[in-house]
Parts: sequence; structure tokens; C-alpha cells
Amino acid sequence: MEHYRPAPGTPLQDLDTPCLLIDLDAIEHNFRLIADMYRDTVCKMRTHVKNLKSPILAHMQIRAGGTVGGVCAAKVAEAEVMVEGGITDVLIANEVVAHDKIVRLCSLAKRADMKVGIDNARNLRELSKVAQAQGVTLGVLIEVDTSMHRAGIRRVEDGVELAKLAAALPGIAFRGLMSHQTLPGRPDKQTRLIEGRRFMQMCLDLKDAIEGAGIPVDIVSTGETWTYDIAADLPGVTEIQGGTYALMSASYGYMDEFAIAAKILGTIISTPRPGVAIGDVGVQALASPGGVLPSVEGMPGVTVEALHDEHIVLRTDGATPLTVGDQFLLHSGQQDILVNRWDQYIAVRKGVVEAVWDIPARGCHH
Amino acid sequence: MRRRMEAGMERPIFKPLGTPVAQLDTPALVVDLALVEHNIATLHAFFQQREAKVRPHVTAHRCPALAHKQLATGGTVGGISVITVGEAEVFADHGFDNIFVANEVVTQQKIRRLCALARRASVIVAVDNPANVRDLSAAAEAHGVTLQVVVDMHTRLQGCGVEPGPPAVELARVVHAAPHLEFAGLMSYAGAILATDPAALAAESRQCIQQVLDTRELLERSGLPIRMVSVGNTSNYEIAGAMAGVTEVPAGAYVLLDACYGPYRPQFAPAARIMTTVTSRPEPGTAIADAGQKAVSVDLGLPVASDLDGATVASLSAEHCRLRLEGAADETLRLGDTFWLTPYDIGTCTNLYDYIHAVRDGHLEAVWRVAARGQYR
Repeated sequence: MEHYRPAPGTPLQDLDTPCLLIDLDAIEHNFRLIADMYRDTVCKMRTHVKNLKSPILAHMQIRAGGTVGGVCAAKVAEAEVMVEGGITDVLIANEVVAHDKIVRLCSLAKRADMKVGIDNARNLRELSKVAQAQGVTLGVLIEVDTSMHRAGIRRVEDGVELAKLAAALPGIAFRGLMSHQTLPGRPDKQTRLIEGRRFMQMCLDLKDAIEGAGIPVDIVSTGETWTYDIAADLPGVTEIQGGTYALMSASYGYMDEFAIAAKILGTIISTPRPGVAIGDVGVQALASPGGVLPSVEGMPGVTVEALHDEHIVLRTDGATPLTVGDQFLLHSGQQDILVNRWDQYIAVRKGVVEAVWDIPARGCHH
Repeated sequence: MRRRMEAGMERPIFKPLGTPVAQLDTPALVVDLALVEHNIATLHAFFQQREAKVRPHVTAHRCPALAHKQLATGGTVGGISVITVGEAEVFADHGFDNIFVANEVVTQQKIRRLCALARRASVIVAVDNPANVRDLSAAAEAHGVTLQVVVDMHTRLQGCGVEPGPPAVELARVVHAAPHLEFAGLMSYAGAILATDPAALAAESRQCIQQVLDTRELLERSGLPIRMVSVGNTSNYEIAGAMAGVTEVPAGAYVLLDACYGPYRPQFAPAARIMTTVTSRPEPGTAIADAGQKAVSVDLGLPVASDLDGATVASLSAEHCRLRLEGAADETLRLGDTFWLTPYDIGTCTNLYDYIHAVRDGHLEAVWRVAARGQYR
């Protein structure tokens, strides 16, 4: 892994590139916005660390306020990094199936309040068996498919059956429900509100059915960055899962109350033909799933023409001349795939390095 | 097997050597050694019979253990090629002493690192700009080293490089005249040429390479000695390697191959795959597995579920793969089962892992570090 540690006080122009920057003013604005929104509501934020991959950033949001005091993670290895980093409440918003991984999850449950998603009775029985053998209690949340067509139960009856089983099994504490949502494209606010409420209502319908069967549901964990403002006043939703909002990405540009905090700093290494400049960052470092190109910050007339493995092709109409050695800033179209390709965040404020933070959960896809 | 966990490292549950592959923690990057050895033997045998040699382009896998296997096989120039100074540093630390940075190195910080590296390895670097040549020369003088320099030429891909012919010759003269630099020759990166028709592949490859060879001739006629012409890649190594005047081919993808190259290069076998586990069967016809975009890159295309009849990769989200299942696969695939994904592009995929699980006959034989992963600088 890379160990690049520019000293605090280093100006941007002295940084070796490419590097992944966090604009501290921007991320603090995003954290504050969430804290203000959820300070007095029943519903709280549970920040998703699959996006941040760093306990420090999770602690920053928890300290700023408006949270449940814990995080959600996508993988057991990510949860390990968070617990090692001092987080004591982790929801793995995902199914954990392989026996080895369940053992690993139960080890964590000795040191933190661990909760995990379920959508299958056989898996639930296995969780119970291992938890019992390890002498721990695992919290479980039934995953409900509301729009992703991914994991999660599809029918209310199946959810009630699974809840009954969870409530009866030793080593298991039935805690509630969870779901993810997706809305493609760039929805307007009206569409966002209507669709968000509709998806969350599917969780609330299941909550009612399970409670109707006499089983208490204390957690309804749902939502995304694009529904963060809907859950706040939807009775029954107890927590919202937001990830992208902290660092932001161009694909969530329609949520413009959040500021772009993750940026890539690159350098022009060649100007081979008039109007064309080649930069030192490519697909490897940037991530462009589906061929989505990044955008250039603050350079009028400069566009991204292509991404190669290790290079970016920029074109300028002349309004901003580009010369070899010039630096440029990019906004990625996608956020968590990007962070997963870096070992360090260079945290900057007003163009000066303030801190360098490792990204300890990078590569933790296990 | 116990391993030290470092910050920012992949955290698989390590298994003892000899473990059956199906018991590895997933998602895992698994390399079949017999196939790797077949791929290396096939390409290197071609170069053992030729004037031109292969210079393994190790950015394709970033793994020093694989690179050592390549150099040990013969038919090589005895060195490797990389893209970044950081990759060059990592490979130098793993015992490689002849390293071609096939890229422009322009900032003062990187030029200083390059010169420091030149004290412990023979370093070749590319240029396409006279101001950069002057900076390299001044830094080489200050560090008391000599850098070997090749002129990078634009022949096909929109990227770095001067135009062939007189502009390249002019830049070569600037390099030749610069103290502490040694003009080594020419390079052009034309990208993979994917064509199933051998005549079309040969025509397009020759069209690119001939521009470099014509420039070589101009240089020689003007009295500039030239010892290195670096062109071609896995897509056309046999064409590049057979053209008189080409001295080396920086091929890399042939070692592990991928689903993109596979159909075009049948002499090689896809040797690297991702093993993944089914974590949900939410409804008939659908399976969800634990390898998403963070475990299999999809920048250039979707992976292929290579061994599962009736299974198609429908999509990958950040953490999940969604399979569409038909027929027997739909009936038999259960929660906890593992299956294989062949990545579409291996370069962006090895860059996601810290460890390669090397297997032979279905059992773990070695765990290798992808030591140069993430070396973008």
C-alpha cells in the first residue's frame, strides 16, 4: 500500500499527485446538516461506512450529532475495522452466510452491539447455532426488498414468519427491519418524496404485521442519502442509512444541499496536441463504473474526453489554457467505489493540508 | 497461516496452504498456477526464437511473484515495464533492477524519486516534451545518475506522445544532446487491438508500428544510434515481435488474461478469477452473491459467470452481484454455494486486492502480495 504523508501545512500545489482529497469545510457542512436535521427527531442517522471506510469520519458524524450513536457496514471485515476504531454499535446491513464469516461476526459481538440483516430461515438458524456456541446474542433485522430487487424478503407473510422464528431462536435478538432503496436518474423533489415514502411504507406495513403477531419491532432502519429528509417525519422509521451524503458524488448532484467533499487532485503530464492535455490519473484510480466520466472543477471550457487505465484526456476550448505541470481537480461520478481504490485521504482546508488519514477499511470486501 | 494486518489491507480469513479452493474466504482473487504457467510458456516461447524480446508489463498484475516467474521463463529483455514511479519503486524493492517507466514523469517530486531509483536500478523513462527533457537532465546531474530516455510517440490512441517522423527525431536530438541522459530509443502505446480477423489485426498493428520503424530509420540515417524500440502488447505480440527493428514488446495481459481478451487470444487461458458466495436467493431465477463492484471492477465491462451453466451476470452494485438463473442452476444453486466470476478487465481487478490466492489442482499453493496495488503516483 502507499504511504504518502504530506506534512500538515503543505499547500495543494506541493502535493504529489494523483491523490484523494477531502475538503474539510465541505464534509463538516454535510455532517452539520445531518446533525441539525435529526437533533430533535425520533429518527436518527446511522451513517453507512461502506462509503467512508474510516472510523475517524464515522466518529466525526457521531460527535456532530443527529445519529443513533453507531454505524452500518456492508461487510464483516468493514465492521471489524470500525469496532477496532472504537465504534460500539454496528449494523451489517447485509446477509452474512458463510460459516467462517458468522464465527467472525460472533467474535465481534463480544466487543460491540452487532446487528445483521437476514432474509432466509436457514441462515437465521445457522446464526443462532453459532451465536449460542460462542455465548453471544446477535441482533437481527429482516431485510425487506422495496425497490432494489436484490436481497430481502418480497412478501409480508414471509417477513412475519421469519420474525416469529427470530423471536423464538436462542442467541438471536429480533430487533426489527431494514431496507435499501434506489431511484435511478436525477429525480425532481416531488418524485423523490413520493417514491421514498412509498418504499418506506412497505417497511412500515411489515412492521405493523409483525407487531400484530405480538412481536415488538424496535428498529426500522431504512433510507439512503436521497431519502434522508423524508424519513425524519415518517412515524415508525427509527433510523436512516446515509452514506454518499458525507463525501458526495456528481451522481447525487440533485441533492445540492450537500457539498462535494471528495476530490481527486491530478497533474497535466503532456500537452501533445493543441487543445488536448493528458493528466496523471485514469480509470484505476478514479473508478468509472458504467463508463461515467468525472467532471473538472473550476476550469471553464475544460472537459473530460476519455479515461485510459492510468491517464485522463482533457480537452480545452482555450478559455482555460492547460500546460504541463498544472494541477486540476476532479469530481468522481461515483463515491464509494472511488474511495475503495485509495489508501489515504489527504484532508485539506482552503487549499492547505490539515491531516492525512488512512482508509483502513479499503479492500475490506470480505 | 498468520499474517500481519496493516491499515488499508484486504482482510480475508487466511487459510493454511493446501486448503481446497472452495473453502477460501470470499470474495477472493484466485489464480490457477497451471494456467499461468501455460500462458507464460506460450508467449515466452515465441520470443525465445526471435530477435525481439518481451518486457513483461507488470502493471497488468502488480504482483512481484508473478513478475519473477515471467523473467525466469526466458525470452525477455531481463527487465519489466510499469506506468508509475510508485510501481517502479515497489518492484525495485522486490529485486527488479531493469525498469522501464513507460510514461512521462514531469513533476519535480517524481523526477527526484526517479533519480533516487536510478541509483539502485537501471531506469528507462519516456518523454514527449523538450522542457521535460531539460528537467530530467538537470535532476540526473544533481543526483549523479544517468537516466535512459525513450521518445514516446503518438500512433493510434489519444494520449501522450509526439507525432512520428520529424517531431520525434527533433525530440530525440534534444535528448541525445542533454547531459546525464542517454537516448535509448522509441516507444508507442497503441492500446489493445481487438480483432478476430487475423488480416485486420495484422494490418492495423503494422500501420501503427511502421510509423515507429520509419522514425527509427530517419534517426539512424541522421546518425543517432538507437537500441530500443518498444511497441505492441498481448493483442498483437506475434506481429510486433516479428517486425525487423522492433526490439521489445511490453506485454502484460497474457499472464492472467480476462473476459475482454479471451475471445481474441485463444492461445491463452483466463487464469485469474474471483470466487464469490451466494448470500441470498430472494426469488426463483435470482441469486445474490458477495462480490460487487468493490471486488470485481466493472469500469470496462461486466464479469462472466464462467462455470455455471444457465447463469448470467445481470448486474453488479457496490457490494453485490446479481445472477439471473435458468434451468438446473436455478434449482441447484443454494445459499452458501460458491461460484466463479471471470473479470472483464484484469488490470482494474487486481488493483482491488492485496492478495492473490495461487492454486494448483484445486488446492491453495501460495498467497502472494499484490504489492504494487494502488501505486498511482
